[in-house]
Amino acid sequence: MTKQRQQRLFILTFLGPPLALYALFVLLPAVNAFRYSLMRWDGLGAPEWVGLGNFRKLLSGSSDFLSAIGHNLFLTFVPGVLILALALFFAYMVHQRVWGARLFRVAFFFPNVISSVAIALLWVLIYSTTDVGLLNNLLKALGQKEAIAFTESSRLLWAIVPMSVWTATGFFMVLFLAAMENIPETYYEAAKLDGATPGGQFWHITLPLMWDVLTIGIIFLVVGGLKFFDAIWVMENGRPSPATHTMSTLMYSKVFEQYDVGHGTAIAVLLFLLVLVATLVSLRLLRRERIEY
Amino acid sequence: MKRFVWVPVLILLLSPGCSLQQEQPGAGIVLEVAVFEGGYGIEWHKSVARRYEQQHPGIRINLWGDPRVDEKLKPRILRRRPPDLTSCTLPVWKLIVAGKLYPLDEALDSRAYGQDITWRQSLVPGILDDFRYGGKTYAVPSNQGAWVCWYDARQFRRHGWKPPRTWREFTALSEQVKAAGVAPLAFQGKYPTYAWATLLSLYQRLVPLERWYAMQDLQPGAFTDPEFIQAARLLQEMATRYYQPGALAMTHTESQMEWVNGRAAMVFCGLWLKNEMKNAIPAGFEMACFPVPTVEGGKGNPRAVYSWGAETFLVFADAKHPKEAADFLKFMLSLPSAHDYVQRLDTLSPVKDCVKGVRISPELQSAVDVLDRRSCIFSDRLADLYLEFSRTALQQSLADLMSGKMAPEAFGARLEAAIEDVRRNPEIYKPPARGVPTP
Repeated sequence: MTKQRQQRLFILTFLGPPLALYALFVLLPAVNAFRYSLMRWDGLGAPEWVGLGNFRKLLSGSSDFLSAIGHNLFLTFVPGVLILALALFFAYMVHQRVWGARLFRVAFFFPNVISSVAIALLWVLIYSTTDVGLLNNLLKALGQKEAIAFTESSRLLWAIVPMSVWTATGFFMVLFLAAMENIPETYYEAAKLDGATPGGQFWHITLPLMWDVLTIGIIFLVVGGLKFFDAIWVMENGRPSPATHTMSTLMYSKVFEQYDVGHGTAIAVLLFLLVLVATLVSLRLLRRERIEY
Repeated sequence: MKRFVWVPVLILLLSPGCSLQQEQPGAGIVLEVAVFEGGYGIEWHKSVARRYEQQHPGIRINLWGDPRVDEKLKPRILRRRPPDLTSCTLPVWKLIVAGKLYPLDEALDSRAYGQDITWRQSLVPGILDDFRYGGKTYAVPSNQGAWVCWYDARQFRRHGWKPPRTWREFTALSEQVKAAGVAPLAFQGKYPTYAWATLLSLYQRLVPLERWYAMQDLQPGAFTDPEFIQAARLLQEMATRYYQPGALAMTHTESQMEWVNGRAAMVFCGLWLKNEMKNAIPAGFEMACFPVPTVEGGKGNPRAVYSWGAETFLVFADAKHPKEAADFLKFMLSLPSAHDYVQRLDTLSPVKDCVKGVRISPELQSAVDVLDRRSCIFSDRLADLYLEFSRTALQQSLADLMSGKMAPEAFGARLEAAIEDVRRNPEIYKPPARGVPTP
């Protein structure tokens, strides 16, 4: 055996198992999901080929899928706009070394070290209509007579907005702050000498020079919003209704609760395509001339 | 360097999926029993298995439990290597129609353990109705449930409140409770379908059983029937006037906790309530129950009780030892085992006379009293048969009705439209109409 062949075999020995595992646990199920989306199958009996029937049903007016997309868009854009605005503001303030900047950086980032399920449970308690409900107790102290059911299905999407903002702002703040800290100080000094206001400096120096990071942040928000699952699932106690279903919860519900694997996997395929298209569109829309420094 | 090639091969061979271990020959029959490990645990099942092994030396029972037993069963059902016997929450009807289950009639028509009657005769009449298909019976429940309204008898005594028998008495009581500064009803609002059994019970109070079962048999127009709309109106009035404020956002445990702590006076629930709340029930709390009140002017049977078989056991058609599994199930649901079940778990078995001669708790006695006064039992199968209906339209419509956002007429129309979708969908299996089951 030549040395080169020995080397190849050595490399293959180490690369083979992880690649095999990846193919077995990621690629194969993904290909299977595409296959099952073209079938009618309850997960128990024999599958039956239906072609694009599952997709046609999902996209028909009577399906819950279209309202689920609406909920995903709500959860992408409403908290997303607030998160971006607040994260940029806080990052800028910390970058300007306001008093207590270090403390704020840690405090804002803190929710990111808690698991998303624990955060949802925490907010369930905050919104609770029982004695432990922080918000309702506060409202009661302010004169509200009856507890407000914030997590009732019809209000749940709005109730998730503050939770999402609280959870995600810190992460994006740190992301944007890192980008701001990389901008050379000399640009700001020159701008100040030219009489630029703080707002002008932000608009003409900071924002253009951190545009790439901002684009990544927006893509994170879009992808996260389209895949939204945990908070809805936890706050609805595993039983989301058509008023709260997102694409991911509907997919799970179809496969594991309604035993409709064909429809569930068809949702998974559409979700994959939507995330892909949304990412590409975001990248295209946010493309700008790269500014080097 | 060549030896490295064997590393991944060894890893794969040692992994559980590639186990080469085989059942030892000559060790007799080993029955595998997989049990859903819910609120009742699996200790009783284990003790029954040990007794069965003592009486049947050639059989060993490998019994295991898991709260997520369904997830473990699904791949095994597909590989046609299921356990011999199981209790799970998989949709029984889908399994029956897919031909995955073994008919239990031979065992049901054989002599019951410890009694001179057949096993079928030893069970509560009507309890097997929901599991019959093509003249055969495919599942047997190990628990008997009942839908009742629970209250704390001590709190009722202290305030001079009396358990109501009619709807008018119920609303009058609720007003009295409200006046005393207590919420009349706790409700498990995060699961709107908890109200389904109450609504169907109210509808039963209003119509003869023939009409009630016609709805179960998908008769067109059943949900827009004036009596069904009336039942929906009663439910809506109860929800908007007497549910604890904020109840629609409470989980089952949160709302039941409110009841246990005396902030709500009553709660509609099944017999599992005590087991579910046993760690929270304070000393001196006296759980008691009454059936869903009758409705003035209603034409329904006033002594019918919403009761059903739960914790259902199935034998798979692909099981290695289906006959032996059915026999073990018969042993599990024999009268002596049922006595032990009632005593250990403080709940009811579907075996007739399961509480006779057994010391039971006052709260279970209260439920037994309700069932003893019954003339017949009835229970819904729409929610189990048509998951497409129950997990979408029904859940959302009930939430909208109880929050007052949807009028009872619109509620009925929405359910009628949803069930029409089921009716028209050739992909959904519909069992033949069953009419009023004969006991």
